[in-house]
Amino acid sequence: MFRAILYTQWKWSRLVILLATLAGFGLPLLSVQGARGPVGYWETRQLLGAVQGWGVLYPVLATAVALIVAMVAWAPDHRGRHVYALSLPLPRWHYALLRFAAGATLLAAPVVAVWLGGILATSMAAIPTGLHAYPTMLAVRFGLAVLVVYAIFFAISAGTVRTAGYFLGALFLVVAFEAIANAAGAEIHLFEKMMLLLIVWPGPFDVLTGRWMLIDV
Amino acid sequence: MSSAIEIRDLHYRAGKTFEIRDLALNVPTGSMYGFLGPNGSGKTTTIRLLLGLLRPLHGTITVLGGSIPREGPRVLARTGYVPEQPHLYPSLTVDEAFRFHSAFYPTWDWKWADELLMQFQLDRGRLLSRLSKGEMGKLEMLLALAQRPELLVLDEPTDGLDPVVRRDVLTAVLEYVSQQNATVFISSHLVHELERICDWVGVMDRGRLVAELPMHSFKNGIKRLRVVNAPALSGDTPFVVLSRETNDGSAETWVVRGWQPTMSQWFSGVGATLKEVIDLDLEEGFVELLRTFRVPQA
Repeated sequence: MFRAILYTQWKWSRLVILLATLAGFGLPLLSVQGARGPVGYWETRQLLGAVQGWGVLYPVLATAVALIVAMVAWAPDHRGRHVYALSLPLPRWHYALLRFAAGATLLAAPVVAVWLGGILATSMAAIPTGLHAYPTMLAVRFGLAVLVVYAIFFAISAGTVRTAGYFLGALFLVVAFEAIANAAGAEIHLFEKMMLLLIVWPGPFDVLTGRWMLIDV
Repeated sequence: MSSAIEIRDLHYRAGKTFEIRDLALNVPTGSMYGFLGPNGSGKTTTIRLLLGLLRPLHGTITVLGGSIPREGPRVLARTGYVPEQPHLYPSLTVDEAFRFHSAFYPTWDWKWADELLMQFQLDRGRLLSRLSKGEMGKLEMLLALAQRPELLVLDEPTDGLDPVVRRDVLTAVLEYVSQQNATVFISSHLVHELERICDWVGVMDRGRLVAELPMHSFKNGIKRLRVVNAPALSGDTPFVVLSRETNDGSAETWVVRGWQPTMSQWFSGVGATLKEVIDLDLEEGFVELLRTFRVPQA
């Protein structure tokens, strides 16, 4: 059963997975392209700046690929109003688990690509004394980010349109309430607090923030 | 007589306007049960309830001895289902749809699936999104049959198909039933189609089961009678009067249910004369049944 589910999901999301795998492999190589020759103080600073600059793209890539794979996992079932999935002879939780596992398995490809790209990039680069390469830690972090984003959006996209409507409606009410309250002179920052809850530890999206460094001190 | 499907006291509501009330239904094992009803009468909803795709407000559903929805997966493994609308993933090819579907059914018969593929003249490499309506209908039926089910639940399987495809599909079902002694629950609003193949019939209208009886009783039991000097009805008739219309003078036309030839004596007993007994076909009987059911109760 898992193979069958995995195959369908591969067919639906293979383009995204392939592009993300290429990008994941290329990102580490691009981030160290300046570290080729002899390195002094300024070259070291330039290298760290380049690595940090390219590093912004890791969470972007992780979010994009995980989001698309999560949505694609449910899209055909949504189109068919889940009639096929529900008429298959297995409990709903089992079906959802298989779909989740299939997506997570496919997402391993870009994570491995980041790891291999990182190892290759750091083995070819001239790393200045005092700096260290972290290809494995970067790949682990990338993998964790992918998994967190995938899990959250998989759960959201598993819901019905009505559930999504409730979610968006609640969000709209918060923003509208804040706008009205602030217009009336009250200092209320509900939306900002909600965002902080999500992106600051222990918020789930904390994994996406901070510096993503292939090479660091 | 054991039942493949048994529904008791079922209640379901969708929105504010549609509900299924006090539904009781019994499908004998090995029968071909035609589930008739006009569009919007609740046939598809009932089918989704009995497969566990929807949850009732209350009532019990037993399919192949298993309680629905508690034992849904076990029951679904032994049930072939063809829904009203195509439900397969359109981005798969026919062959991929085979492989996907077969992975979930331990009783899947590859040999027979290949035979049906040849018989239905379907191209293995064709994308499902490129199949015509008829080809999709045949593929849906093929997948349901190749899993060798004990129960086939077919929701308007031939709706919108041309006569040739319709014949192919129904022939495949009949062949399967003759080999396997499976139970078939087939919903349709095409009355003539069910008349030829079903041995039981249930009629649904506005969320309620109007009638459930063997096909021969349904066909033979509903008659149009020409009556002269018809008496006022006091409710003690040996048959059920579905409708009664005055023609001219003292002549009336009655449509009755539960008719048997010996009942003609009843008319002489009440001073009336039975001039003619006219057979109705299933469609006429069906229409009369619904017409009576829809007359507001006083």
